[in-house]
Amino acid sequence: MDNLLIPRGVRRTSFGSFLLWLLPWFAMLSVGLYAIYLCLAEGLFHTNMDNRFAFGIWIFLDLTVIALGAGAFFTGFLLYIVRRKELAAVINSAVIIGLICYSGAVLVLMVDVGQPLRAWFTFWHPNTHSMLTEVTFCLTCYLVVLLIEYLPIVIKNRQLRQIPKFLVFEFELHKLMPVFAGIGTFLSFFHQGSLGGLFGVLRGRPFAFREELGIWPSTFFLFVISAAAAGPSFIMLTTRLVEKITRKRLVRENVYQLLGKVSGLMLVAYVLLKSIDTLIWINSTSPGTGFPAFEYYATQSFGTWILFTEIVLFGLLPALVLLSSRLRSDRRLLFGAAFMVCCGIMLNRFVMTIQTLALPTLPFDAFLTYLPSWQEVAAFAFVIAYGVILYSVTYRYAVVFPQERELNLAAGPESVPAKQSLLSRLRPRFAVQLIQKFVSLF
Amino acid sequence: METNERKQYRFGMVIDLDKCSGCGACTVACAVENNVAPAVPSTTTRNGLTWMNVTAVHSGAAYPDCETVFVPMSCQQCENETPCLTVCPQNAVDIDPVTGIVGQVPQRCLGCRYCMTACPYHARYFNWRDPEWTDGMTQQLNPDVAPRMRGVVEKCNFCHARLHAARQKAAANGSREIDPADYVPACVESCPASAITFGDLNNPSSPVAILAADKNSFRFLARLGTEPKVHYHSSKQWVREMAERSKTRTQQEAFHG
Amino acid sequence: MLPFVYEFHWTPFHVTFLLVFFTLFSMVAATLVLALRRTAAKDTPEQIEHVRWHTDFEDLPAALKACRHELRGDVKHRTCPNGFDCRTCTVHAQINARVRHRPGMQGFQVYGFSMSPYRLYHRGHTWVQQEKDGTYTVGIDDFGKRILGTVRSVELPPVGSRLYVNGSGMLVRSDDAAVRVLSPLDGEVVAHGTEEDDWLLKVRAEQDETATTHLLTADEVPNWILREMERLQASFATAGVGVTLADGGELAPNFHRHFPKADWDGVLGQMFLQA
Repeated sequence: MDNLLIPRGVRRTSFGSFLLWLLPWFAMLSVGLYAIYLCLAEGLFHTNMDNRFAFGIWIFLDLTVIALGAGAFFTGFLLYIVRRKELAAVINSAVIIGLICYSGAVLVLMVDVGQPLRAWFTFWHPNTHSMLTEVTFCLTCYLVVLLIEYLPIVIKNRQLRQIPKFLVFEFELHKLMPVFAGIGTFLSFFHQGSLGGLFGVLRGRPFAFREELGIWPSTFFLFVISAAAAGPSFIMLTTRLVEKITRKRLVRENVYQLLGKVSGLMLVAYVLLKSIDTLIWINSTSPGTGFPAFEYYATQSFGTWILFTEIVLFGLLPALVLLSSRLRSDRRLLFGAAFMVCCGIMLNRFVMTIQTLALPTLPFDAFLTYLPSWQEVAAFAFVIAYGVILYSVTYRYAVVFPQERELNLAAGPESVPAKQSLLSRLRPRFAVQLIQKFVSLF
Repeated sequence: METNERKQYRFGMVIDLDKCSGCGACTVACAVENNVAPAVPSTTTRNGLTWMNVTAVHSGAAYPDCETVFVPMSCQQCENETPCLTVCPQNAVDIDPVTGIVGQVPQRCLGCRYCMTACPYHARYFNWRDPEWTDGMTQQLNPDVAPRMRGVVEKCNFCHARLHAARQKAAANGSREIDPADYVPACVESCPASAITFGDLNNPSSPVAILAADKNSFRFLARLGTEPKVHYHSSKQWVREMAERSKTRTQQEAFHG
Repeated sequence: MLPFVYEFHWTPFHVTFLLVFFTLFSMVAATLVLALRRTAAKDTPEQIEHVRWHTDFEDLPAALKACRHELRGDVKHRTCPNGFDCRTCTVHAQINARVRHRPGMQGFQVYGFSMSPYRLYHRGHTWVQQEKDGTYTVGIDDFGKRILGTVRSVELPPVGSRLYVNGSGMLVRSDDAAVRVLSPLDGEVVAHGTEEDDWLLKVRAEQDETATTHLLTADEVPNWILREMERLQASFATAGVGVTLADGGELAPNFHRHFPKADWDGVLGQMFLQA
């Protein structure tokens, strides 16, 4: 029925079963839409947030999806600026994931704020010292960049490219892609960082407050690096998920290996810096404001296990797996590690948002708890459903994985493994391996 | 010779916790003065609008020695690196350079609630729903204060309308300076125990400045370094230690006590 | 946001912040406008065909883009960077100057396909033959015809229209798919072939010296066809049909009928070099 719209040489399920696949997602979408309507039309009392827990699940998940969507800018950076050509295999998917994550986050933010129609005030009379201003400016600008990056994927559709203007426009846009990738990288650096800075500047919240490096708190840099670590891992996971669902190979093994290596590299840098930051915070920053750090972990549900899980279990461990080419060549370990990276970043965002708000500041205050209302969960389910639908439609009608046709129509040969360098034959220690990994990356 | 220079005020208050009986008159007076709509039945302590909020704090000692103190807490009017001021993305929080009062501009507020997250005193309140007054109540709204709409943040501003009125009165009398007797916030006025002293901290001879300098005066979370202009006063040592967190529990106590 | 709008502060931080934002936003806008302007400027059929081919070529698998000198054995491994257009290729000129062109063979059969030593072949499965009057005749080669199966109709460009190398040459509709066959030549269509002729188009080429430089010659054809056979076999192997062509075997005369379930649209698209 829609055969003429489907890219040449790839297999897609019948139109009927495609609609059947979309049906539950549309159901989820409508429930979410109703919840959003309630919040917008009647007020935010439909949420379980309150004056003490002023940020809830929405901000936590916004931060998470924006970190996971960082794959769009980081893959673009590696492909167009560092020129790792292998990543062309996943760049389209990365752009779509990025677009879904960012547009979803902005959408939820618009429900989250009390007066969304006043969002333009931030542009008209900005307080440039606020981290939120930096986030708003960069996020808006980057969303425009993502839309521009998404456009060629759409107009390259088999029928749309028959229109000469679309064909040429796609061609010209593609040539200018490095410019957008560069701007996207710059913008992402700042808004990922500012999202971290959002909490690091909170002088009144000693649990989140961090020392300043230059004009930004240390969380600024930690968020940038952790997002760069989570992005590639999330792309690996989503690509693998699409492969599982469609029962097809979509990218070559070397692409997964490269993404895993990049993720591991960024993660090991992150774990190192995060550990240093945590030590400074425990020993100096926090006690200096009258809050000895052990107090934060005195409440049983948020004990020190959370710190251990964040840094060691979901940080160091997957980093080591991803850095070892022998370990990551095992698919279960590779995707297991990628999953742990994403969980770790999610946990970090959870700690920065929810735990910060749950911990009391006033001496007579108790530890606060909060459970999201169904409206809050449904509004976020809306974003997930919207993402799945957008991805599914794009996957069906556009070339999302350029290697799909080759890998499924003609059994292309696996790419030849790179020659072993002299350095690697020496079986060096970990530090040398690390240097070598850096050399081989750039 | 006429000078254009205006007097530099630094309004602040000292709340004497020895006198406070926890009656809540300040909370009610504040709500009436500032057109805070009555709470709906489902309202809790966590989502209601209480610009001035009174909390009972117990010493934790065993029966014969146990003590309770009531802590009325409003916006603490932080002076140094005011947490809510720097975080607002659209300048909806401002500090009046003449009075030092931290103000909230609800007309500019987007309702992002970042300022509420930033405030260590939880003194900022969000309008989770549209304000509703029953029919008769609209008749007694304060005409000098604009009610706020749903979706914006609000907080204590030391009864800005009263400051405005005092200024107008001074101007009518040909003066640039207000008479301290003309500017008294509603909570101060309503307190039956006269526990709250309000005035200009810049004036060393004012009662508020003298009381703030007392050895038994303190500020909550002083070590955060935000320099609040709302001081507290208590003769009890445990209250002062509790407020300043100067005597922190040991790790042992934290985990077992 | 703008000077003299309330809450605009002439402080270095504020001004820098907004300047950086405005610069970035203008860069995004300017780049987009640049792309739009370039798009508007490219409106001749030649430019559009050029773009179409280059977009398609970009998406071809690397194995398919092997240089003709790799087929011929002059170089061990080389991927064509020029969209199979050897006319401007410096490497092609260098190798041609170095390696003596082997003389053409007699009429030959390659894996059961009849190819002619007097014809030149285009990678999109068309042949070109120079006629006595200096014009060129163009047709679909035997390999192309066999994989197309039963041709239902052929849409030819009207007499007098221009053709561009690697641009659209003709549209062939078979029982299984519609395929755009690429033009092997730059030139003007002067005649259509009739039923009796084995050619489809007669073309008057523009530049005579280099008009056919980019086309494969008889000595390159066997290796090229071998690769095409491998490619075809691989296509079927993963299209759910299993191994079909034993090594060294030939295509059955009407092998089409044996694979009704194969994705002919995909197979033909790839064999005729298009997305």
